[in-house]
Amino acid sequence: MKRDLAYYQKRKSFAEIGVVAGILLMALFVLLSIVTEFMEFYTILMVLGLVLIFVGTGLFQWTQRKFKQEYLKSYLSDLIEDGEFIPKKGFNRVQGLHPNDVYMSEFIERADRYYSYDYLHGVIDGIKFQSSDVHLQRLEYRTYTDSKGNRKRKRQYVTFFKGRVFHFDFNKNFDGCVLVLERYRPRSNRKYKKVELEYVDFNKKFKTFTTKEHTAFYILTPHFMESLMKVEKENPGNVGFSFIDNKLYFALHKNRSTFSLRPFRKIDERYLQSIHDEVEMIYNMVDDLKLNRNIFKED
Amino acid sequence: MPEYVIVIIIIAVLLLIPVVWFIVTMNGLRRLKVKVNEAESGIDVALTKRFDVLSKMVDTVKGYTKHESETFEKVVKWRQNMPDDMSVKQKEEFMEKMNQVQADLNLVVENYPDLKAEKVFTNLQRSISDVEEHLQASRRMFNANVSRLNSRIVSFPTSIVAKQIHMEKQPFFEAEPSKRQDVKMSF
Repeated sequence: MKRDLAYYQKRKSFAEIGVVAGILLMALFVLLSIVTEFMEFYTILMVLGLVLIFVGTGLFQWTQRKFKQEYLKSYLSDLIEDGEFIPKKGFNRVQGLHPNDVYMSEFIERADRYYSYDYLHGVIDGIKFQSSDVHLQRLEYRTYTDSKGNRKRKRQYVTFFKGRVFHFDFNKNFDGCVLVLERYRPRSNRKYKKVELEYVDFNKKFKTFTTKEHTAFYILTPHFMESLMKVEKENPGNVGFSFIDNKLYFALHKNRSTFSLRPFRKIDERYLQSIHDEVEMIYNMVDDLKLNRNIFKED
Repeated sequence: MPEYVIVIIIIAVLLLIPVVWFIVTMNGLRRLKVKVNEAESGIDVALTKRFDVLSKMVDTVKGYTKHESETFEKVVKWRQNMPDDMSVKQKEEFMEKMNQVQADLNLVVENYPDLKAEKVFTNLQRSISDVEEHLQASRRMFNANVSRLNSRIVSFPTSIVAKQIHMEKQPFFEAEPSKRQDVKMSF
């Protein structure tokens, strides 16, 4: 059942107030414990603070889940032809998808910790697409010296990609693979060679790798390069494209989840507009890259 | 080690440096030349493909108009009189002749809606668009490689090596002024 935005905003506000109150109570407990003699009453403050934080966080998660499942699901399917938004699903083993759907882009590093959620698929101007939020972390070891002067090793997971990965049907049939990368490098056993195109600014902005030079020139027409530059301009420093098996893979690192609620940001028309902008970006991709110009494939 | 041996080694190394540099530069230039040749053969393949598709299209419109068939036959005869390894200039000319046939065909299609609706012909039009894209890609790849080779040939000190091995600037594959934009296809 789709409720209005105020319903979710009200619950989200309760959750935020609960967490803030809990933090304040915890701070008060610490302050009083330091400046005055400990009293049993302080323990009550601490427990109450913890309960408020716990309940507030739970309510926030619940509101987010409900908002995605009830409101966004219907909102997004109204915006996109055959559109379906499945918050629990991602490029993972649930419902027939697989992390390889991300690694098949051949430029995203394999992660030690892999999360994928908020799956959205549909058809735009006759072009099928799939997309999902992906959060990837690698395990790193950090050495540090403790207070006693001993050198110790600490393991920690570091996020190296948090954003959205898209698959689009591509309008040209081609042999070989092409990668157009900004902050990534090829991660495949294929023999990729760097290629320089005739567009100087494009070469400055992107590194282009290909297994077949002709294919790079075939896919990356002057107009197409302009369009990729435009997409990059809207998301500077964070994009990667690959053209493999007649598919276009597009990865956009945002350092945040696309559809998740953000603390202290109101769920209102402005928030909805930001969701709308996310969908519009997919439309613009199809339009700018002329993916809908399907004149090269035979019926 | 006696001093004179050290002096000899230093002189030998000093003499060797320009020799090694010459060989490395020469190989680099030759590799680039090979890439230019490869790109040129890509143009040949694309031109041949375009010629084939165009001949199928002409066959399809034969029943509708004679003029285009005659124009195309002239192109066929012209091609037969050309050597197998055409120069870049001749290839440009060949492309321009095919552009003309294609432009004429587009006009024919406009006048015959039945033809426009024929699936075989529509598929051929798609093919020719794709072949045209491949031809443009080959042309751009060729020109990019020629540009890289030419800029090395004219840059000092590589120009010395280029002169020694008689390597000269290569001509670009230019599109005719009227065809600098993509060939407009009407569907």
